[in-house]
Amino acid sequence: MDIKERLTSVFHQVFANDTIQLTETMTADDVEGWDSFSHINLIIAVELEFNIEFSQREVMTFENVGALLSCIQDHLALQGRGDSVRSLL
Amino acid sequence: MTQPTLTDHIAYACLTQPCRDGLSDQACIRWVNPDLSVADLTYAHFEGQSNRLAHVLKNLGVQPADVVSVFLPRSPLLLSAFFAALKNLALSCVLFSTLGEEALLDRLGSSQARVIITKHSLLPKLLAIRPQLPALQHILLVDGPADLPPAVLALDPLLSAAPNTFDYPHQVDPETPAFLQYTSGSTGKPKGALHVHGALKDMCSSFTDIMLPTPRDLFWCTADPAWITGLVYGIIAPLAARIPQLQFSGGYRAAHWMQLIADHRVTIWYTAPTALRMLMQEPPETFTQPDLSSLQRIYSVGEPLNPEIFAWGQKTFHRDIYDTWFQSETGSMMITNHPGMPVKPGSMGLPRHGVEVHICDEELQPVPTGRQGHLCLKKGWGSMFRTYYQRPEAYREKFSRDLYITGDLARRDEDGYVWYVSRADDVINTGGHLVGPFEVESALLELPEVADVAVIGAADPLLHQKIVAFLVLPQGLAWSRQLELKCRLHVANHVSTTAIPAEFRQVDRIPKNQSGKILRRVLKALYEGQDPGDLSTME
Repeated sequence: MDIKERLTSVFHQVFANDTIQLTETMTADDVEGWDSFSHINLIIAVELEFNIEFSQREVMTFENVGALLSCIQDHLALQGRGDSVRSLL
Repeated sequence: MTQPTLTDHIAYACLTQPCRDGLSDQACIRWVNPDLSVADLTYAHFEGQSNRLAHVLKNLGVQPADVVSVFLPRSPLLLSAFFAALKNLALSCVLFSTLGEEALLDRLGSSQARVIITKHSLLPKLLAIRPQLPALQHILLVDGPADLPPAVLALDPLLSAAPNTFDYPHQVDPETPAFLQYTSGSTGKPKGALHVHGALKDMCSSFTDIMLPTPRDLFWCTADPAWITGLVYGIIAPLAARIPQLQFSGGYRAAHWMQLIADHRVTIWYTAPTALRMLMQEPPETFTQPDLSSLQRIYSVGEPLNPEIFAWGQKTFHRDIYDTWFQSETGSMMITNHPGMPVKPGSMGLPRHGVEVHICDEELQPVPTGRQGHLCLKKGWGSMFRTYYQRPEAYREKFSRDLYITGDLARRDEDGYVWYVSRADDVINTGGHLVGPFEVESALLELPEVADVAVIGAADPLLHQKIVAFLVLPQGLAWSRQLELKCRLHVANHVSTTAIPAEFRQVDRIPKNQSGKILRRVLKALYEGQDPGDLSTME
């Protein structure tokens, strides 16, 4: 599964709705139940799914799904660099 | 036998009468969508839509005193659905669209709702509990596909076929039931406070006396219509008083909110301390770049308004923020600050004209000035709830002699100002939402990974109170982030997103007394690093 598919699956789990189809411009206003309380659930679920940890600043700046996706990709790229460095040691 | 003096039906005062008075084409609500697109909606729009929906309900067999639930996010159709139920002399019950399955079951079950109006994305929650709701006859969907499950009806074709006019009594006995407002208690299930059409007068006079609106104003109440504030001051009072208002169906975003005030020239703004505290965290340019000069008056409700917010409001908006206090049960503002009176920052203000406040001890005797006690109101005001629906014993427990016991602790100073102290019971006020610990505990106990649980409210700088859950796990099971997520999602999907604990703590056991009652004060003290006090009753 690619990142977007995995993120879609996270959204289905967090909002208990498997009809959600993610688009990059999608915001909290487009998803039933995505409020400031469930946003924390989403962040924890994403961190667990991708084994990453967002900074407080990042969490506050997710304007839409595109921004979230891009941040996940950045974290995974950093992890990838770490892995490749480790593999050289 | 003398006939009771009749009063205006709420739907008549809000929609039909303005249309009869020639205001049909006047915009009563400027509706702003989440993408900030705008629609000016007229009295005729809501009158026509609610008439057609009233026909649909009548054709489905809705009778006077039946309960019609509205389970929708904030939308124009939600307003029409509310009035359509009323036009059938049925009871309307607007429910938060964030409610989870069990919270929904509690409310639909106890109200014995006969019809529910909802949308496709919320349908799975309803279908999951449908077999446990024998009184529920029809589910009406405002959107969704053509192939619907049995007993689920698409609203659109029914609305298209319905006439634009509807006959209903424009004047009714003031005691005619109008709507239910569910509220959480410290024990047991949520209770539906029943309000009557006769409450309209208090709702309107409190709005006009305290907020001083004129037809040249644009009023914006940020509360969801499933909350008493959003229903009374976001729908009923401005429509009946014919004050133009703004409704925004998007969520909280500081930049959007300020843009709305600037672009639409909002003059009176009614919001909540949690929202104001969130705004306080924004950089100064959030408030200096948009032109907020239209704002004349700012009001707050839902939690105590800290003096820090008041000072920030003066500095940022160059206006006082007027705190107001009321409850689902009181139906209208009871204790308020307003223009023309000196504001004591941090105080709830003074009782509204005609409201009698008493601060009482445990025996409900008056306490001396300055001493804290139970905040009580002399019963009999017009918008007072008339019962807890199907729970008359719970209603009786809220009264002693001629006093309504609010469940809040407060004190009164030498000038008569009332100061909030805390809840007298275990109900948690988080971000203006009242959450009963029992609901959260019941949900968490359903998980096999939770052996025992207790929930408390702890002070929080943003939410006023946050929910803290103390968990006992089965032997051998370790706490993990995966388990935290499971607990969070379970509460969100079974109770509500607003009931999700902000913090989980694993403990060896839950302190209880000898009859098994959770000693929340002990947990609270331990959480706050205080002395838990007398533990002699602990089992």
